[in-house]
Amino acid sequence: MKKTILSAENVSKSFGKNGAQILKKVNADIYDGDFTVIMGTSGAGKSTLLYALSGMDGITDGRVIFDGKEISGLTEKMMAGLRSEQFGFVFQQTHLVSNLTLFENIAVAGSAVRSGDKRSVRERAIELMRIMNVEKVKDHLPSRVSGGEAQRAAIARAIINSPRLIFADEPTGALNKSNSEEVMRLLTELNRNGQSIIMVTHDVHAAIRGNRILYLEDGKILDELNLPPYADSDAREREQRISQWLSEQRW
Amino acid sequence: MGYGILLPANFRRHKGSLTGIFILALISAAVIGTVLSLWTNGDAYIRSEMNRAGFGDITAWVSGISDTSELTAEIEGLTGIERVETQKLIFSDYEANGVESDSEGQLITWLPEENRYRFFKDDLSGYIEQPVEIPRGKVYVSPSLVTMLGVKAGDGITFPIARSGKNVTLVVEGFYEDPFMGSSMIGMKGFLINEADRLLMLEVLEDAGIDALARDGAMLHIFSEGDGSVSRLNVMINRETSISKYSEFIHSSDAIAGFMVILQNSFCALLMAFAAVLMIVAATVIGHSISGTVIYETVNTGILKTIGYTSGRLRAIQFLTYLIPVAAGIGVGMILSVPLSVFTADAIITTTGIRIPSTLPVIASFLFFTILLLFFSVFVLLCTRKTARISPMNAIRRETKSEDFNPERTFCAFGQCLNLRLAFRQIVSGKRRYAGALITAVMLAFFASLIGRMDNWLGADGKGMMEAFNPADHDLGVQIFGTLTAEETEKTILAYSEIIDSYWLAMPSAAVNGIDLTVNVIDQPERFHILEGRTCSADDEVVLTEFVASDLGVSIGDKVTLRADRGGGDYTVSGIYSCANGMGDNIGMNREGYLKIGGDIPQLWCKHYFLSEPSRKGMIAEALETMYGGDVHVHENTWPGLFGIISAMRVLVTVMYVLTAAFILIVTVMTGNRIILQEQKDLGIYKAIGFDTIRIRISFALRFGITAAAGAICGVVLAAIFTDPIVSAVMKLAGISNFSSMFSADSILLPFGVVTMLFMAFAYLVSGRIQKNDLTILVAM
Repeated sequence: MKKTILSAENVSKSFGKNGAQILKKVNADIYDGDFTVIMGTSGAGKSTLLYALSGMDGITDGRVIFDGKEISGLTEKMMAGLRSEQFGFVFQQTHLVSNLTLFENIAVAGSAVRSGDKRSVRERAIELMRIMNVEKVKDHLPSRVSGGEAQRAAIARAIINSPRLIFADEPTGALNKSNSEEVMRLLTELNRNGQSIIMVTHDVHAAIRGNRILYLEDGKILDELNLPPYADSDAREREQRISQWLSEQRW
Repeated sequence: MGYGILLPANFRRHKGSLTGIFILALISAAVIGTVLSLWTNGDAYIRSEMNRAGFGDITAWVSGISDTSELTAEIEGLTGIERVETQKLIFSDYEANGVESDSEGQLITWLPEENRYRFFKDDLSGYIEQPVEIPRGKVYVSPSLVTMLGVKAGDGITFPIARSGKNVTLVVEGFYEDPFMGSSMIGMKGFLINEADRLLMLEVLEDAGIDALARDGAMLHIFSEGDGSVSRLNVMINRETSISKYSEFIHSSDAIAGFMVILQNSFCALLMAFAAVLMIVAATVIGHSISGTVIYETVNTGILKTIGYTSGRLRAIQFLTYLIPVAAGIGVGMILSVPLSVFTADAIITTTGIRIPSTLPVIASFLFFTILLLFFSVFVLLCTRKTARISPMNAIRRETKSEDFNPERTFCAFGQCLNLRLAFRQIVSGKRRYAGALITAVMLAFFASLIGRMDNWLGADGKGMMEAFNPADHDLGVQIFGTLTAEETEKTILAYSEIIDSYWLAMPSAAVNGIDLTVNVIDQPERFHILEGRTCSADDEVVLTEFVASDLGVSIGDKVTLRADRGGGDYTVSGIYSCANGMGDNIGMNREGYLKIGGDIPQLWCKHYFLSEPSRKGMIAEALETMYGGDVHVHENTWPGLFGIISAMRVLVTVMYVLTAAFILIVTVMTGNRIILQEQKDLGIYKAIGFDTIRIRISFALRFGITAAAGAICGVVLAAIFTDPIVSAVMKLAGISNFSSMFSADSILLPFGVVTMLFMAFAYLVSGRIQKNDLTILVAM
């Protein structure tokens, strides 16, 4: 029996007073240790759901429950604490602070946890940079490194505080094929080590890394596909299965 | 058509920064307009009133002459003299509200038919018709007595006419405008009385004989026929008439007008300098706002260029976008300066003694308006140059040139004091954005420190000013009349404080190269404040103020001819000394030197003491006056008008700090908002990785704090270097040539602290909008 880490209960989200409803009473459970992928057509509300679940964006109705506690009504300060200690974020555009070096970007995130010991944050940042293979460019500004290096640094930043859950929004959307492959390999490796990940993507090749795929359309979760944990050997087979499932969803 | 669409669109889009620009221009113009109005109107009004009232080109104060008609006939007989008008008066000391004036008053008979003076309402808010007569026992006084002695209508003013308590007390009926000696900078004061009261006092004087304390006298207003040199006229009158036998002092109308406006001119000069600082700050901030907007609008500019707008047309639209609020701000500021001038003139009436008209000097204002507008126009044009360099396709592709920044050249933005490190990193990597705040901090801290240094020099009790006005330092001066001896008065002094040291000083008059001047005669010439050369140690030497030296065209080593009541002689100028008394129209010499040409009258001498307990000088003065009454004249190292100057200085400091705060607020709002707009992505990232808003806001405020602190340090250092030359130039208007500011915590820490804290506090307030920044901004990017 998997443990639920995050739940959406009748989560709705509208824009403007009489604006379009992007999420319509979404109910979903995200399990501990899973690599959950959210897929769907353009405008289905994938990113909106991700940001609603992570507390980055408010919701119009319903509840979001993390680790048994409702987070949809938390104060800004409490949400900041949650984001720094429990959640990690990886964006499509790497979103590294432009005037901080890669090392500083990672270490600063480590320092967002006020109780963090500076020395241990530094050591952990360097260790993560080594793992992410960006050690050589650690003193470079984001504008001076490749997209892949920047995204790997962004992943290092996301995990420096050992979060319970990583939210990844199209993490390979702005990368070339080899960099995409490397980023997904790293995320898979993290998941293999027990890291819970929830990722939005429209790329089937990226989606094969997940063990659970949710299909979203018109603000509702229509279906889900459960897969065994990823292994390089069955990549092609997973891709075919997901493609077929998506075509059944009329994707 | 493009103007009609783009101009209103620009106004809507940049309404925040354009409002800031409007307010900056408005404040600068309002301050300049007010100062300009007070400056030009004050001077012009005094001169026009002096002309209207008929005070002549030269006025001689004479005493000891029962009938002035012979003397006036003598003067009128001289070539170049048109006529002489006489105002009868009595010279007398005076006391009100327990405060004895340091200078003599002049009880002047008021004759309604002369129409010399204008009378104020009791609340000084305007004028009233002149009274039919001044009732007996009543007196009209200058409003400056409010500041000097705390006088109000209904108070009694006592004039000691003769010893043995023969005092006359007159009740203040109201206030009148005295363009001649109304300023609190002038110790001698006119009191308008009924002729019957003057005659009564004359009777008392005649009865008192040698016990008389007051003196019968007159003002002779001498009118010249043409535009000849007044100083030459002065020399001629002194040489060819018997006036030197009776004259107390002689001043030209220029000198008197100078005395009258000296205070407002000094403060106007300072305020004008401050207004110039504000204008430079405004221009800097406007410049940075425009540059920031040009960068922010790069994409839109590119799009407009692709659809056919030329750089020139776009620059013209930008030019109008900024010039319209600037012009509106200057225009409204100039108009606002009229009520501000009224308010200021009302506020300073008890110091200036006159009601300065508040009409906007049209020509000067128009000139300033044009100059300001041209200044800002050129500035705006220069700042919009970047628009021409924007390539349409680069702009659309968002290929903007980022600022050069090498992280290896600065310290790591991680470690202890992370907020501070992050703030520092932001400043180093985006330095141009903070240049406006930096320059503002430099300029405002510079001026605040300059004023602080002046305030320190002035001191809480005006010691600096007194030292500038006195030829030598002292705590207490005692002048003895009658049979009393210095030893007797010293017994009283010693009951309160030890006497550390003492010296004798007399202030008779003498003609120096034919011009009547006050002579500071001292028995210890080494006590003079010597600026250049050496003091007058020998009996054939004198020291001059630099103003007298300049007027006489002499320098150290030259000879001057002195003539006093017992004869004359040549003296060598041994040095230049400082004494601002009489706007610097005085000389100094030693006792032996003076006694060669002047009589040794015991009453002439005043003994100056240095006390071990200078704070008890007030008590000592009171004790001496109680014990010896009219037989002593005691003065402290102060004069009543000084309090007016000190309070005016305090008002100036307050006004300056209020304007400083307003400017810092506007600059921080304009700069801060633009930075938040430009950094909204980075700020969103900080939020996304778990920084709470308070922490981001503190770091944001620290950026401004660091920038302001750096600027404020530069400002106070500049003030330390430039205060003395700048302020000395202004002080010379007042005859003060020894201005020298000193290091003090107040003049360094206060401007530094105020400027830094205000920037930080306002930046923290401005950063409140970070809280509203939606994190979904990161999704859209």
